[in-house]
Amino acid sequence: MIPDDAVERLMDSALAIGAECEKANVQQWEIYANQGYGHSMEIEAGRISMASGGGDGGFGIRIVEDGRYGYAHLVDINSASRAIEQALSIAKRSPSIEGFELPGNKSATEVGGMKDKAILDMTPEDLLEQGDQVLTKVTELDSRAVAVGGGIGVGAGAGALVTSSGIEYGGVFTSHGIGIHVSIDENDQLTSSYEGESSRKILDDITSSVEKAVHWAQVTREKIPGGDTEDCPVLMTSDGFSPLFSVVVPSAIRGERLAKGESFWSGKMNQIVMAEHLSLTDDGLMEGGMSSGSRDSEGVPSQTRSIVDSGRLNGELWATRDAAKSVAEGRVEFAESTGSASRGGHTSPPLCGCSDLILSSSAKTFDRDRLIQEMDNGYIVHSVMGAHTANPTSGDFSVTTSTILKVENGNVVGALSQAGLSGNLAKALSSKVILGDSSIRKGSYSTGSMHVPDVLLMDGLRVNPA
Amino acid sequence: MVVKTRQSESPFSSGRMLDEDKISKALDMATRLGADYAEIRLVSETTNTASLKDGKLERAIPGQEVGVTMRILADGAWGVHSTSDIESITGQIESTFRLAKAVAARRSPSQNMVELAEVPIIEDEIHWKSAKDVRDTDLDQIIEMMLAVDNEAKDDEKIVSTATGWSDEHIHTELITSEGMNRTWSFQRSLINGMVTARDGDEVVSYRMRHGGEGGLEVIEACDLGEMGRNAKISALRLLSAERAPSGRMPLVADRDLTGVYIHEALGHPCEADLVAAGDSCLEGRLGETIGSEICTVVDDPTMRGGYGCYPIDDEGVDTRPKNLIVNGVLTEYLNHRETAHRFGIEPNGGARAQDGLHHPLVRMSNTVIQGGTHRDLDELIEDIDFGVYACGSRGGQVDTGRGSFQFAAQEAWIIENGSLSRPVKDVSVSGMTLEILKDVNGLTKDARLAAPGFCGKGQTVPVGDGGPLMRIREALVG
Repeated sequence: MIPDDAVERLMDSALAIGAECEKANVQQWEIYANQGYGHSMEIEAGRISMASGGGDGGFGIRIVEDGRYGYAHLVDINSASRAIEQALSIAKRSPSIEGFELPGNKSATEVGGMKDKAILDMTPEDLLEQGDQVLTKVTELDSRAVAVGGGIGVGAGAGALVTSSGIEYGGVFTSHGIGIHVSIDENDQLTSSYEGESSRKILDDITSSVEKAVHWAQVTREKIPGGDTEDCPVLMTSDGFSPLFSVVVPSAIRGERLAKGESFWSGKMNQIVMAEHLSLTDDGLMEGGMSSGSRDSEGVPSQTRSIVDSGRLNGELWATRDAAKSVAEGRVEFAESTGSASRGGHTSPPLCGCSDLILSSSAKTFDRDRLIQEMDNGYIVHSVMGAHTANPTSGDFSVTTSTILKVENGNVVGALSQAGLSGNLAKALSSKVILGDSSIRKGSYSTGSMHVPDVLLMDGLRVNPA
Repeated sequence: MVVKTRQSESPFSSGRMLDEDKISKALDMATRLGADYAEIRLVSETTNTASLKDGKLERAIPGQEVGVTMRILADGAWGVHSTSDIESITGQIESTFRLAKAVAARRSPSQNMVELAEVPIIEDEIHWKSAKDVRDTDLDQIIEMMLAVDNEAKDDEKIVSTATGWSDEHIHTELITSEGMNRTWSFQRSLINGMVTARDGDEVVSYRMRHGGEGGLEVIEACDLGEMGRNAKISALRLLSAERAPSGRMPLVADRDLTGVYIHEALGHPCEADLVAAGDSCLEGRLGETIGSEICTVVDDPTMRGGYGCYPIDDEGVDTRPKNLIVNGVLTEYLNHRETAHRFGIEPNGGARAQDGLHHPLVRMSNTVIQGGTHRDLDELIEDIDFGVYACGSRGGQVDTGRGSFQFAAQEAWIIENGSLSRPVKDVSVSGMTLEILKDVNGLTKDARLAAPGFCGKGQTVPVGDGGPLMRIREALVG
């Protein structure tokens, strides 16, 4: 899937662009190069509809002159001189930030589990066979069920970072992912569920997402009338919780936002901000972590960083420029990179964001059934619509769910056809919260990856049945 | 099939990038291998993005990206290859053909083969010339315009930060197909946006603004940037003291932004024929059926020049035209591409769009607008509402097209009491079922027009425009 010398090729190209920067007398430069390769297949209306492959990549050039920076991106290395000129021109117009320099070369810890040879060896035919397994599984589980959409993909990416300060770093990572949307349309009633997962290693069981999708399409078919709007406990599955969590929390823990009063946790360093049994850790060194690696996107060694310890806010995330800027502006006395620079490919300069963000509890955790008993009366919410409309500044959200079950006296009594769910996530996490006893990795609507409990019971939310 | 050649509107593009002879030979080879159809589409994008934070330049990024995608249809199934390495694409003919054959081999007898509706085969160039080519805009001009927003937005001690953004792009596309289609087109988009964050004690709120459209610098110059910044500041300060919105079913009046998001989510997506064909649309089998109030007429129009969702030719080389999705409440047309047009036995209507040169085309919306009604203004819309909500500005929305349920969120809102706006409220979201709420639209003001530009995600992200008049819904679920 990926040439054996992919990293070397990228490194050579990046060094060549670096040499152009030297020729242009650029004070400090950073060249980021990436190249992705992959195969994927799409499912539509219960069949494999398309298979595709290919790759893309490019270069990002960041230059720094007297604390001013400029950036340009390109695909064709032959246009590097022009891109360097553009970046220099932009740097001249940018404000100078005292103390802002590109990071130096510090030793970094290797992180394992970033690539899996089994993925590199996968052929398009292998992927199509996985598609067959998925479609067969849907039918086996429920003859009424149809995989209306989804797909499976494998990818391999090579990246290289070369800087004037001596960083020469490159690596290969792999991924394997599935997304599956299953519907059951019978007796004029359609229920559906979308599930997905991804991993740096080949997925052990490609059909586990199918089981979840069919399950939720089945259990939401027994409709009951919606009741009145109520403020009540809600048991959220990781699929329902993580989209909201990923919109609201990663933004709130960025150092610059905290310093500027743009976070609901601004001014609360060393104060209790979550329930006292909860902790939040940003782990950039997680083995096999989808957002981990030995260095961040500007070459700073990654860290495992406590953000909230036993409910108390004790950490924040910084990239090099944000940190220098906040100090220069007098917003904080001291700040330095926490190895938290990330970027969405070569078209983006490094920006502060989380890595593998883990929500954990020191209190006793429970399985789903026990949490339902604990809740006694309330709702189970599996997925939400409109998580991206949550307000990351305030933590307020107001979303809609069509996979919601009502619980009375510790028993599931049926599904609502639709309901609104609203509240403030920051406040809910500081109220009564009980976590489920296993952690699941989920994607993110903002940066990084979310490691959240499979289920969690929260108070302080409002359910508004349709 | 008809072959025609048209003059370009102006020599606006920067010249061809694909080697036509080489591409034609590669497509011929695909045909010789047994392909029913093959195409190569290249997209080159020249872009500029910039942002200010608190009035200071945060970043400015010029970029030049290119991508090329080959699609091969063989035995009624697709194989696709995408790459940013233009030179390598013709070397992928055989492997992509084999991919298509491998997909086809898995199709059961009961499943439909992919076939394409016939379209006119055209060789031409169309370049939509901007009044002020955005590639000629220098960074100082961009900064000046962003500062015009920023200076007005930050003028209050409770405003803790401002952020202003800029994005422009020149998009150049070339499409060559095994049927003989050979089209090149180009156009531009420009956008300015911003966000104001206000704080009062523990209360933190933010308000977003956005203006843009198809075209060059003239798009931004047409906007009163100072007023946009001022209005955002006023809204953010108002939200600081706004109470939480009530929950429950009640009359809703939506401003132009929200009317646009509503019609995009609730109607536009379920009208996408690829979702209909997949069994994932609540509008399947309902063409000709009355699904909305008779005052509802909705058009999706990529030819609406200036709209953020404009494009001269779709990404399968089909000429664009307005699509009447609903006329007086009756569902009249799906958005389609060549595959779904064949499937449903209808004319292709130019709805195929790809995010860029590295993606294959899907059925997408362009500029989706509900036409104006008969009400004079907001006052007339709310005068007989005892208790309801007037919601303004979009924070986005989402739809479950199969179930027909949707959700969208407002930036700010007011309670309507006894026919008048009373107090501001915040965190208003609205949800409902497409087939119920469309019938509950019972008031539209006369003046329909596009609202703020947006982006639509469907695995791929494309710019869209949407809008309409102010709209009244008899009863909506406000959460």
